[in-house]
Amino acid sequence: MSVLDIKNIHIDFPTSKGVVHAVTDVTLSVEKGRRIGFIGESGSGKTTTALAAMRMLANPGFVASGEVHLNSLEGDTNVLHLDEEGMRRVRLRKISYIPQGAMNSLNPVMRIESQIWDAVVAHEGAMEQSALLERSNTALDGVGLDPKVVGRLYPHELSGGMKQRVCIAIGTCLTPDLIIADEPTSALDVITQRHVMQTLREMQEKIGAGLILIGHDMGLMAQSVDDIAVLKKGVLVEFGPVRRIIEGAEHPYTRELISSVPLVGGESFLHAQAAPPKGEKLDVPLLELDGVGKQYGAVTALHPMSFALDGEEPKIISIVGQSGSGKSTMGSLMLGFNDPTTGSVNFKGDDINKMNAAERLEFRKQVQAVFQDPYACFNPFYRVNHALKFPFENFGMQGDVDAAMHEACEAVGLDPSLVLGRYPHQLSGGQRQRLIVARALMLSPKLLIADEPVSMVDASLRATILANIHDLKDKHGISIIYITHDLATAYHVSDYVMVLYHGHVVEAGPPKDVIGDPQHAYTRLLIDSIPWPDLDRDWGDAGDARAALDALAQIGGTPETVYRGDIPGFTLRQG
Amino acid sequence: MADQTNAAAPETAAPDMAGLTKRQLKRMKRFDNPWNNPKLIWGITLLMGIIALGIFGRIFWDTDLVFTGAVMPSQAPPGFENLRGQAGLASSPLGTDVAGRDLLALLIVGAPNSLYVGMLASLIGMSLGIFLGFTAGYTGGRIDDVIRVGSDVMITIPPLLILVVVQASFGDITLTMMAILIAAFVWQSPTRLIRAQVLSMRESGYVQMARLSGASNRHIMFREMLPNLVPYLFGSFIANVTTSIVTAVGLEVLGLGPQRVPTLGRVIYDAIDSAALTRDMWWWWGFPTVLLMVMFIGLLLINLGLDEVSNPRLRRL
Repeated sequence: MSVLDIKNIHIDFPTSKGVVHAVTDVTLSVEKGRRIGFIGESGSGKTTTALAAMRMLANPGFVASGEVHLNSLEGDTNVLHLDEEGMRRVRLRKISYIPQGAMNSLNPVMRIESQIWDAVVAHEGAMEQSALLERSNTALDGVGLDPKVVGRLYPHELSGGMKQRVCIAIGTCLTPDLIIADEPTSALDVITQRHVMQTLREMQEKIGAGLILIGHDMGLMAQSVDDIAVLKKGVLVEFGPVRRIIEGAEHPYTRELISSVPLVGGESFLHAQAAPPKGEKLDVPLLELDGVGKQYGAVTALHPMSFALDGEEPKIISIVGQSGSGKSTMGSLMLGFNDPTTGSVNFKGDDINKMNAAERLEFRKQVQAVFQDPYACFNPFYRVNHALKFPFENFGMQGDVDAAMHEACEAVGLDPSLVLGRYPHQLSGGQRQRLIVARALMLSPKLLIADEPVSMVDASLRATILANIHDLKDKHGISIIYITHDLATAYHVSDYVMVLYHGHVVEAGPPKDVIGDPQHAYTRLLIDSIPWPDLDRDWGDAGDARAALDALAQIGGTPETVYRGDIPGFTLRQG
Repeated sequence: MADQTNAAAPETAAPDMAGLTKRQLKRMKRFDNPWNNPKLIWGITLLMGIIALGIFGRIFWDTDLVFTGAVMPSQAPPGFENLRGQAGLASSPLGTDVAGRDLLALLIVGAPNSLYVGMLASLIGMSLGIFLGFTAGYTGGRIDDVIRVGSDVMITIPPLLILVVVQASFGDITLTMMAILIAAFVWQSPTRLIRAQVLSMRESGYVQMARLSGASNRHIMFREMLPNLVPYLFGSFIANVTTSIVTAVGLEVLGLGPQRVPTLGRVIYDAIDSAALTRDMWWWWGFPTVLLMVMFIGLLLINLGLDEVSNPRLRRL
């Protein structure tokens, strides 16, 4: 029996540029106890479709036509006909919503248990304190949190994964018919993601509700849902059981989405290249970290470590770790945005924090970066040319700046006539990030620090941008430090991988060894937690995820570094 | 692998112009140019009206009529009678006061004076605020502490109290002097506003990019950050003009401020002082009040309009 039927729904957003048809003629049903994944890129209408069922569309969107039937309603089952009070009763009780950013969804001034009581009282009326306590205890128990401890805490005292599990507890405490989970794990790292997803699945199976999981990660979908609905620009392009979609997708867009997920050990998305051009030969290393450590107050972000990178043979060094592992701190230390607490960062033998203005300009010219957020990297006041033109002129580089811009854009696969001369908000995230890569190419530095360059870009474009970055090494002889949380891309792109955990290097060596055959417990855990778009590769159940988190807690302290072999021109040591 | 055409494709479905009413289409057209905002246009028109009164009044009317005894005293506007039953004269279209000054001439000279004080005070206050706010936000540390605490302390001091004391001891002052005195009390909120904005902008991606491009601090402050603050600065400037005019008029109505230069506040002070209310000389206090209202409504509309220009979410179809 189906829980929710969406019939020929059209959703429009009147904007200052005309009416945007965000969703066009989508029809689908959610069966009881079945999990459906809505997958698509940003702006594809996946969230809008799901939210229409709760009548929570963002202003000024509205349902232009179509029907949404919630079959457990008495009489008229169309939720679009309900009045405000009727709709209030439906939300959470019949359809619950698990938001993307749990950190912003919980009330910061209320204890966790009070927030669950709020939900219960709003739908079932006032009841005895003891009865309420029992309800909140059951709900928290269900998601594996200790009600005696967690119930009395405030949201800021919980970790991201715990907050998301509290959201699941609230979303399931009234045993709804349908749960809508909007990218519930996109802000979490892989290990926590697995635990949260397994908890959500477990709860959903226990109460027998339907589940709509919204996401953009094909691997996560493959491991979590029964059916997949692929949306593109508001149109449902493909819908079917997960196995058929993954193994025999019919629509080219679906195939593109699946193939865009890089696999460890899978086929590389990079083109083989002839030998890269050599960099200049130096007596001193291009970049040297000498006993560099960083502390923020009492917190140690990075324990002292040293490495030396030789610039002659361009290489890509990956730094892999979860959020808080110290990888971004390393990036900003290498760029001289932060002073190290101990040790020194040397570029061509000179300490970058002791340079005068002229030397510093020269250092900036030779060391460039690509940052995570392509949306913030352009000044909204200027046309995008400004970001490319200004450094070119500031560094006093020779040649025609316009010709150089055109050439760089073409090299990263952008049509200069389409992107140059536009304002940043007129370009997509992917276009902007490629422009930043083009900027780096135009300045032809010796070293590029790429800090999570693709984590905020749509999945189908990630491979392209990484290939662009890889070309910087292969065709232009630029050495690259690639900072990421994504082991699969690090596996393909890099020549050497360092895995960081709590500011320590736990495992380092060539990627085929470190990621292909991990030895350290932490690296193994990371790799096991990745959701693969492969149905035969089991992700484990909630118990496995919990055991993994316990294992992680045991690693703590000062873990030993496992060295997995060297590559010429790069040396690493702890301390 | 995604190809070039895919990268250039828009992220959402293209907008569709069909199926809209004529009125919606007309309103939509307005969004093509955000500056084409009715509130903004009306506000500017009202303020321009005050300035036009000052300019054309000087050409077509005799401003010497502001002096005592220039015309018949206590005359109502034409078509009305004063308490003594004398009909108004066409030679004084807005009536006259008890000292024989022509009210139209007073307004022609006084209204632009009030606006001038407000504008100048706000301009000085904003310049101070921009300088201090940028210094505090960008340098941080001890300098930030000093500026922040200083502006916080100044916010807690009631300006009218200090100004009354200062002006009472000064006696007669010029309009510019008055503007400078008021400016000492309108720099705090722009300082705080700009400091907060600079603090958040300092960590933004494009400032990092500029640092990466080897930009100097001056370039980052004035070429990267300042342009993005323009809507805030405009809004803050207009709000400060309003505050400054209110403060100036408040002081003038108390009989302080410039003694020999006609301003709107001064006219109202004279009216109250000569018991215009009980003598039923409504034109004496009424017309300057109407002009002040026009000024404030104009400023308010400009502020609302600028808000809509800088924040597209406020625009409604």
